[in-house]
Amino acid sequence: MSEKWILACATDDIEEEDLIRFDHGDKTYCIYNTVAGFYATDGICTHEDEHLEGGMVIGTVIECPLHQGRFDVRSGEALSAPVCVNLETHAVKIEDGKIFLDISA
Amino acid sequence: MISAGFTATNAASSGIRLERKLLKALAKRSDKPGLVFLGLWALSLVATGYLVYLALGTVWVYPAMFVYGTILTLSAYAMSHETAHGTAFRTRWLNTTVEWLTALIYMEEPLHRRYTHTNHHSYTWHVGKDSQMPFDTPMTVTGWLVEVSGLALLYFHLRTLMRLVTGRYTDVMRAVIPAHELPKIQRNAWIFLLVYLAIGTLIVSGQHWLLWFLVYPRLLGMPILSLFGLIQHVEMQENSASIIDSTRSFKTDRLAAFLYLNMHNHIEHHLYPQVPFYSLPALHQAIKDQLPQPDPGFWRTNLEVLSVVMRRSMGRNTRARSIRQSPQMITDGRYQKRSVRSMR
Repeated sequence: MSEKWILACATDDIEEEDLIRFDHGDKTYCIYNTVAGFYATDGICTHEDEHLEGGMVIGTVIECPLHQGRFDVRSGEALSAPVCVNLETHAVKIEDGKIFLDISA
Repeated sequence: MISAGFTATNAASSGIRLERKLLKALAKRSDKPGLVFLGLWALSLVATGYLVYLALGTVWVYPAMFVYGTILTLSAYAMSHETAHGTAFRTRWLNTTVEWLTALIYMEEPLHRRYTHTNHHSYTWHVGKDSQMPFDTPMTVTGWLVEVSGLALLYFHLRTLMRLVTGRYTDVMRAVIPAHELPKIQRNAWIFLLVYLAIGTLIVSGQHWLLWFLVYPRLLGMPILSLFGLIQHVEMQENSASIIDSTRSFKTDRLAAFLYLNMHNHIEHHLYPQVPFYSLPALHQAIKDQLPQPDPGFWRTNLEVLSVVMRRSMGRNTRARSIRQSPQMITDGRYQKRSVRSMR
């Protein structure tokens, strides 16, 4: 599938070790500002129907606010129980202080 | 998984609001408070353990073991709970290491604990759904004695361990634990069993100090641990979406707050489980205007609970005078059993 970049937010919109929610169409995403750079994933935890926007960013990990399951935001890998299913990730690119999200996946 | 149409019991389901920036600050992770706790816990165990040593051979060894055992057991429970949430330390391997150590003392395999506790947070005090309801409701004197002796919890832990070792999983286990995790849990349970068998072998081979510094104190620590656990939800409302209805916070002194990792702020913990133990007092301050007053201190709350269960068993009015209580639990004479413990 070809890339489909859309403007999501400015880099300044996200504090260090934090995230913001980004909704587009009927999809919802989270965009992270981590120690390793900016990343994006689907917004809903794969364990329960809980949005990750209320979660904690710890290094390159997002922790779900409901049950503290953890994902690596770089790969989407589920790191600890109770999450078992990986999180979908989305490519981001930075241009002129703006974050673009690839929503083709 | 949470049933379709069911909202997990937490702050949102309870109508509690907290500004995201403040919540993020409160939920921030650090290794330091947990390491300070471990240091002080170790020091207090050395100090009270020395008292046990001095009292060996006298009748004073029993009160000494009771104090030492309460410190050992209560804090092992509290830290195993906190690490099961993953909130005790920022560093993951530290959290996992302490989780295993304290889970071995508490005697519950960590992954089983994590999944059943996850379910407890999703369905807090919902009959037939919450996998961590430790006693029948409403509580009677018999139930109180079984619970406070610690025998019920000990029996549950031993039975659960043997079920996990032999792969005889209960319906509750199968309902709350993903099937592909069961082999890992079984492997962990074998490690637990082998550790306990090794301790038993050492004792039989003459290392009797393990009895005085581990086995007996662990048993003597059960009653106080059970009293702390009991008042988290006893006499509170079942099947409510609101944590405020189902859960109790209570006041306590600084020593108990330390040993219990501030978990007397139990409503606050259930509302925002991502907030680590060292930030629970600050969380309480931030949302206290939205919460009921905490119940009176640990002893007063427990005495009132005992009074209620005694009156229930005697067929008298069960209205509590000084603690929060669900209207469901107030009866005047006859009462009907509402639920059977899920931890069995």
